[in-house]
Amino acid sequence: MSILLNKRLARSLWRTKLRLVAVVLMVFVGVFAGITFGGYSQSLDNMYDTLQGDSEDGGNLADLWLDNRSAVWTPEQVSSFCNDLSAGWENSSAELMSLDSCEGRTILQGALFHNDSSGERIINSLWHGIPADANADRVWLPEGYSEGRTAVADDEIVIDAHVAEVLEIKLGNTVRIGAGGDSGNFTVVGIGFHPLHVMMAPEGTLFPPEIGEFVVGYLSDSGMARLTGESLGSSNTIVLEIDGTPSFDLPTTAVYEGDEIDAVKAMVGTSMDENNIDARVRDRGQNEPIEIMRQDLEGSKRTTVPFTVMIAVIASITIVLSLQRLVQSQSREIAVLRTLGVDRTSLMTGYLMAPLFIGAIGCGLGALAGPSGMNGMLDFYQDLVGIPIVDRAVPISVYTTVIGLTMLVVFLSGAFPAWKASRLEPLEILGGHSEMRIGSNFLKTLTAWMPTTLGLSIRSSFRKPIRLMMTFIAVGISLMLFGSIQMMSAGLEETLVGGLEEQQSWDQQVYIMPEGESGVIDWANQNNASFELIIETQLGILVDGDGVDRIFTLVGLDSYEQNTGMRSVDIVEGTTPSLNPVITEVIMDEGAMAFLSWKVGEQHQVLLNGDEHDVEIIGSSRGEMARTMYFLRSDLSDIVGVNATSVYLDLPDGVEVDNELGELSAGIVGRQTLLDGIESILEQQTQIFQSMMYLGLMFTVVVMFNTMVMNVAERDFELATLRVLGASIKSLGLMLLFESLMIGLLGGLVGVLFAYGGAVGSAASFSTWQFHVPVVLVPSVAYQLMGGVLAIAVAMTPIGVWRIHRMDLIEKIKDLSN
Amino acid sequence: MKLLEMNNIERYYKTPAGVVKALDGINLEIHEGERVILLGPSGSGKTTLLNCLSALDSPTQGSYLFQESEVPRKHSEKMTTFRRNNIGYVFQFFNLLQDLTVLENILLIQELAGKKDAERAKDLLELVGLEAEVNRFPGEISGGQQQRVAIARSIAKRPTLLLGDELTGNLDTETSNKVMEALVHACERENITAVFVTHDEGLARFATRVIRIDSGRIISDESVNNSDEEA
Repeated sequence: MSILLNKRLARSLWRTKLRLVAVVLMVFVGVFAGITFGGYSQSLDNMYDTLQGDSEDGGNLADLWLDNRSAVWTPEQVSSFCNDLSAGWENSSAELMSLDSCEGRTILQGALFHNDSSGERIINSLWHGIPADANADRVWLPEGYSEGRTAVADDEIVIDAHVAEVLEIKLGNTVRIGAGGDSGNFTVVGIGFHPLHVMMAPEGTLFPPEIGEFVVGYLSDSGMARLTGESLGSSNTIVLEIDGTPSFDLPTTAVYEGDEIDAVKAMVGTSMDENNIDARVRDRGQNEPIEIMRQDLEGSKRTTVPFTVMIAVIASITIVLSLQRLVQSQSREIAVLRTLGVDRTSLMTGYLMAPLFIGAIGCGLGALAGPSGMNGMLDFYQDLVGIPIVDRAVPISVYTTVIGLTMLVVFLSGAFPAWKASRLEPLEILGGHSEMRIGSNFLKTLTAWMPTTLGLSIRSSFRKPIRLMMTFIAVGISLMLFGSIQMMSAGLEETLVGGLEEQQSWDQQVYIMPEGESGVIDWANQNNASFELIIETQLGILVDGDGVDRIFTLVGLDSYEQNTGMRSVDIVEGTTPSLNPVITEVIMDEGAMAFLSWKVGEQHQVLLNGDEHDVEIIGSSRGEMARTMYFLRSDLSDIVGVNATSVYLDLPDGVEVDNELGELSAGIVGRQTLLDGIESILEQQTQIFQSMMYLGLMFTVVVMFNTMVMNVAERDFELATLRVLGASIKSLGLMLLFESLMIGLLGGLVGVLFAYGGAVGSAASFSTWQFHVPVVLVPSVAYQLMGGVLAIAVAMTPIGVWRIHRMDLIEKIKDLSN
Repeated sequence: MKLLEMNNIERYYKTPAGVVKALDGINLEIHEGERVILLGPSGSGKTTLLNCLSALDSPTQGSYLFQESEVPRKHSEKMTTFRRNNIGYVFQFFNLLQDLTVLENILLIQELAGKKDAERAKDLLELVGLEAEVNRFPGEISGGQQQRVAIARSIAKRPTLLLGDELTGNLDTETSNKVMEALVHACERENITAVFVTHDEGLARFATRVIRIDSGRIISDESVNNSDEEA
């Protein structure tokens, strides 16, 4: 008997093919997305393991970096430091992992003098001097994705694979490179990768410029000595590699995990003092390029579950609504079956099995398609980041988690309608009592003044408030997927790009070595270019509320008055610093202020260039991705001991950066290049999520379609009555249009609220000390979202009209009379 | 005065079992002010005839003149306009819109016909004895009261012809009588011609003419003198 019952139900479901397909599609998309994201994040994890891990095949990322770009440590100094550290390590009472290596390096900012069809270009660059027998931070040459070998001789160089293709640099080419007044020719012997340069962003910025606008090259230690003229083995960086990876604090978590690396840092500090080494000490969590990529990976992992759950919830709402509608439309049939003696369990079984069957089809299709989705995303990520992702696989655990979770949600969605179906009372249904409803007095009062047709539309829309609410929730979640990313991107673009575009007027930023500004100023004077000195350095450290050291950027400008300097700051609260105050006055960026819970007007003690200083926060600024403290340049110059770290140039028409300026500089960055880079990365980030955004849009369409079709289907009798009584299709169409407009407006409003909530939530989860995401509600995005939902709702009206048009009034009259 | 005239009306349906003749050569004239009851067993064709009269259905053959004009057929919107301008309809299960109050149910039909008149709507409710229920929802009044609202609704736009299909089929005898009395009263006051389909021979006392149908043909057509009952 139950087989026949289930067959009956299956045939009933088959009659609603369109809705059935929509539900299967949603389950499919949920599983597909879950497996895609799960496999994607797992494969990225594998890639980072290979690139950073302590293995001979990878790049062996260091655990601790000591650096001071304005210092040159002799080989003896470095050797002594490493010996002291090693000795201290052995004698230490602390339980430490063993020290694998302690190596000196030279890393310098510089320029590549690149010749192409348009002539010679000076490209901002970074040069590493890496000994041939280096243990940590090595060049990574994965088979099939790289070429050549590491640099050994003093005229050899490996060019980072991110830029080799776009600059058309090939093995055997000769390139001319410079670093702070020195330059030389080098032969390209390899094209490879480096664990510190997954993201090709110049130091101090989180945004990679467009590909080819920033170059990283890896020389041998003798090559670096030849370039700089320093003795072989002299260094400005020391890298420490420890067997295993000591735990370091993850800035994204509330708890402090850095105890193991702190023990190492304490020993490092002692050895630094003993050897007069003055340097910034950073672990992996404090090394921005590393930390940003870790957060990117964490973000991918974190988003897998919520996105899958959100999609599953939307599918679940659709299943609940569809099954409930089915139960409702079959209530007479169910009542007859109950009257004929069919027990509740037999009835319930079918309604419980139906969603499971639908879920199984969706899950099966999703599981089959998931790996393709993962590969698509990995290909995109590979193109975006430029690092090959070789080891790709979806772990079984991802399949089981995603499918298990989805089937659970699907089962639960079917449980309520199934229970309702089994609880229908035959007498009530067959007696027609269940069809009698009493309208809402509240709605009656609210719409009494309106034309009756309009009032009817409103009352019909709110006739099933729970269903309407569930629809709005589903639309809200769909738009959360679609709109929050759009809102975040728009907010970021407005604050970051807007600030750089509208509040800065320089053309080129010329980085200089200490005391190197006079040459650049002379060049500017000779070329009638305006110039402005600026100090910009990452020499600020403060201790946050959890006792964790936080590194921040110090910026010194000559003036903060609008239109007086080449870089103005968007001050959202407070005022600008004044000259010679008792306590140094500074402006802090809003991200840092929010993170630290600091207020304008407070005084704080911070470490500036290694010394403790009191500063008064007199303003808060917007538009910085990195945590930044602004000073008057004269104040900051006294603290850090240099007049400038770079010079802004405003070039007259026809004047361009030339070789002479390139030789004088330690790297040159164009404002337009920076802008293009930011816009490009924001666009790429948006593209990563674009598939998700369009999924959200598609879900909105499906959910709205489902509800609107149900609304019309449910009102068949009502519409047929009106048709028999002489209502034209046009007048009924207008009623449906008004209903659609109202549902669309409300849905759009709910969608905007959800999207804003999602954007705030995502921004909060993405925001860390390194990476603050401001959420600015851009009205155009809100209008777009509302307009989108409204358009979808209105676009559903013709479906209702078509349904009325093809309504067989004779058959309806039979129904109405029986 | 002649309101409508059907000549040799046929209505065939093609079914898997073959062609079914629902109406087989109906010739009928109905005059203004008549109250006609169509009686017949199930499947006799009385509902099909009612559907053709209301222009819900189109005859397969024959002519149908209403006030001397051919009634549109096979064109949904023209047929709707014909219904809107000429026909009132009362259903067995009332089919009032549950989200609208009693008064609003009447106003809606007036509004759709472009003849909104709240005073007339209230007047009609008074006519069917429901002036106290104007602001109540259909779910809050009895079945008989709902059918009286449906009658008021059907005549609110001043139709020329009022049709009803088993309009008391869902009511007990006492309530049926009350509904029919209200209907007769309303038709007389508004000068509306009425045609009702029913199984209930007892309702013949509310009619001026009784037509019996079987197998798609009119088998008898008799005038009834109901002056005693009405008095």
